Amino acid sequence: MDHHRLARPKSARQGIAVLAIASAGLLAACSSSSPSSSTSTPASGGSKNITIAFNMGAEADPFFIAMNIGAEAEAKALGVTLIWQGNPSFYSPSTQIPIVDQLLAGHPSALIISPTDPSALQPAVNRAIGQGIPVVNVDTHVNDLSKVLSFITGNNQQGGATAADAMAAAMHYTSGHTYQVVVGASSATSTTDTARLAGFKAEIAAKYPGIKIVSEAYSQSQAAIANTNVNNWLTKYPNLKGIFAIDGTNATGASAALQSRGLVGKIALVGYDAYATNVALLQKHVFAALIAQQPGLEGKMAVADVVKYLRSGKSMAGIQHLVTLPNIVLTPSTPASVLAKYTYPTA
Amino acid sequence: MAMSSVTEHPAPADTAPAQRPPGLLRSVLSNQHVLLLVALAILVAYFTFRDSVFVSTPEIAVLLTNFASLILLAVGETFVIVSGGIDLSVGATCGFAGVVAAFAMRDLINAHQSETLVLIVGTIICAAIGIGIGLVNAALMNWARLVPFVATLATLGAASGLSLVLSGGVPIGSDSAALGIGADQIGPFPYMFLVVFAIVVISWLYLHLSRYGRYTYAVGSNAFAARAAGINVRRHLTSVYVLSGLLAGLTGMVFYIRLGAGAPTSGDGFELIAIAAVVIGGVSLFGGVGRLTGTILGALILTVVTSGLIISNVSPNWNQVAVAICIAAAASLQALRVLGRRQS
Repeated sequence: MDHHRLARPKSARQGIAVLAIASAGLLAACSSSSPSSSTSTPASGGSKNITIAFNMGAEADPFFIAMNIGAEAEAKALGVTLIWQGNPSFYSPSTQIPIVDQLLAGHPSALIISPTDPSALQPAVNRAIGQGIPVVNVDTHVNDLSKVLSFITGNNQQGGATAADAMAAAMHYTSGHTYQVVVGASSATSTTDTARLAGFKAEIAAKYPGIKIVSEAYSQSQAAIANTNVNNWLTKYPNLKGIFAIDGTNATGASAALQSRGLVGKIALVGYDAYATNVALLQKHVFAALIAQQPGLEGKMAVADVVKYLRSGKSMAGIQHLVTLPNIVLTPSTPASVLAKYTYPTA
Repeated sequence: MAMSSVTEHPAPADTAPAQRPPGLLRSVLSNQHVLLLVALAILVAYFTFRDSVFVSTPEIAVLLTNFASLILLAVGETFVIVSGGIDLSVGATCGFAGVVAAFAMRDLINAHQSETLVLIVGTIICAAIGIGIGLVNAALMNWARLVPFVATLATLGAASGLSLVLSGGVPIGSDSAALGIGADQIGPFPYMFLVVFAIVVISWLYLHLSRYGRYTYAVGSNAFAARAAGINVRRHLTSVYVLSGLLAGLTGMVFYIRLGAGAPTSGDGFELIAIAAVVIGGVSLFGGVGRLTGTILGALILTVVTSGLIISNVSPNWNQVAVAICIAAAASLQALRVLGRRQS
């Protein structure tokens, strides 16, 4: 890399130009990309403006984008301000903690948080509560929920069990026969994947003894890797009957593999998450079933809880401490209106 | 940068009689390509022993498709590393190019254009975006004076962030015709692999038989000397990063054909796999040393390990460990060889 030492800066002008371009770029990035924070006009009822800080793991995850849309709509309807902040792509406590600290430094009226780790985010939640800022957990939770206003979540374990039922139905399961199936997960450490897989396995053990999970592999959140995994399985297990694609990347990789090998309809593919593209593939029978979460509703309910609490003089009346929303199973025969309702909106 | 292969010193005359001629075994063992071939053969034999389906026609097609998704990134990276730099942006470039092209291709499909036109337009867009990112890398280095590591780290972040912003995190498009084309093959050879392999062969000719290639080695061995010899170092490096970007953009198209969609995270982290292939292939990170055939063997080994572990039903977590062992073994072989050369 010697050539860089050869470089002689022509003048300070060049440096200033670099700075100017960099700052222009930063300003453009900050001003353009603001679905994340919106200011709505305060409603007449509020004695003071309510500002809700909403913090999550990976902001660009379609799941959180759908949650943002639900939360944003509710905030607008109730006339409160929503600050939506999270690391764009990293789902980890080390990137989440600085952001939640920054949000708390702004003294919001309330904090809605989707913690990436139950222990690591506990101190931040405790600090907020200590400062009199009410906290709601959404989707995932901290270890100690006793002082948290409410926890609204989807039921991933139930979703996994539903996936097993949907797969068995698509394979026309009859007892006495053996069915080889595989599971494509994202990583060994994803808690939602683990819960879904646990529910899937428990349901199979209880109801479908003929279904054998012959292999599991990880996509590392890469559709191409998921695609390689599925292609390898298809050569190794010529009698494969079912694939459980436990998250969005696996759904993409697996559906591509089945289509390119002309195996649509021959292997029961059950996928997770109702992205618009996945729902379209469901209608073409590439997926035998899709399991949908309800991120928009989770976001909406979290905002509603906080506003109710703050506007009622901090009374718990009408606020449920734990709300578990079921995962919904969608099949090719689900009516279009229902499909539309559960398809994740995109910004 | 003293270990350039270009400047082999002749042994001083008085020490020559004391040296025994290198034995056949020794010269074979000191040839990294031979060792890589042996390693590859052992791996293939082992995985075939675990399950004979590993050498079946459909599985070879899977391997070659997977190889095609990695090799162009690794070839671009080879040029960059031989020139004495590093390009961290290749993985993000391929994801970004795939997403942008997928938007255009989706519109063309909705307008009922022929699949050939769709794929041609997509390929052109992917190539253009790759070239564009290569130019940005070069501008950051030549003009804003960033070292390659930092410049390409910046474009990595920008490209992967922008693909998330544009796509909202979801795959764009659903092109079943492209998936069909991706699956077409002659014998065990997918068409897509043959196209990619042709590009690899052209790159090999370019790196090893053309003046452009010699300049790349010269710049990577010693930029001072290259400049003194009249090579326009800046312009040459610009073209090297543009080439790397172009190949990364084309890889975005390979991913699109494999997935039938432009997935925003496809390619994330692939820069490290590409660099691993290059290092396993015996290309020196100090620049100026290495052969493209080594990179090809390195990429083949990585592909075989990835698929082989799934075929033999080994826990996928071992994949990273296996790759780590390959890198460490290859790099230490290289270091030992340099040491051996100095001692003799």
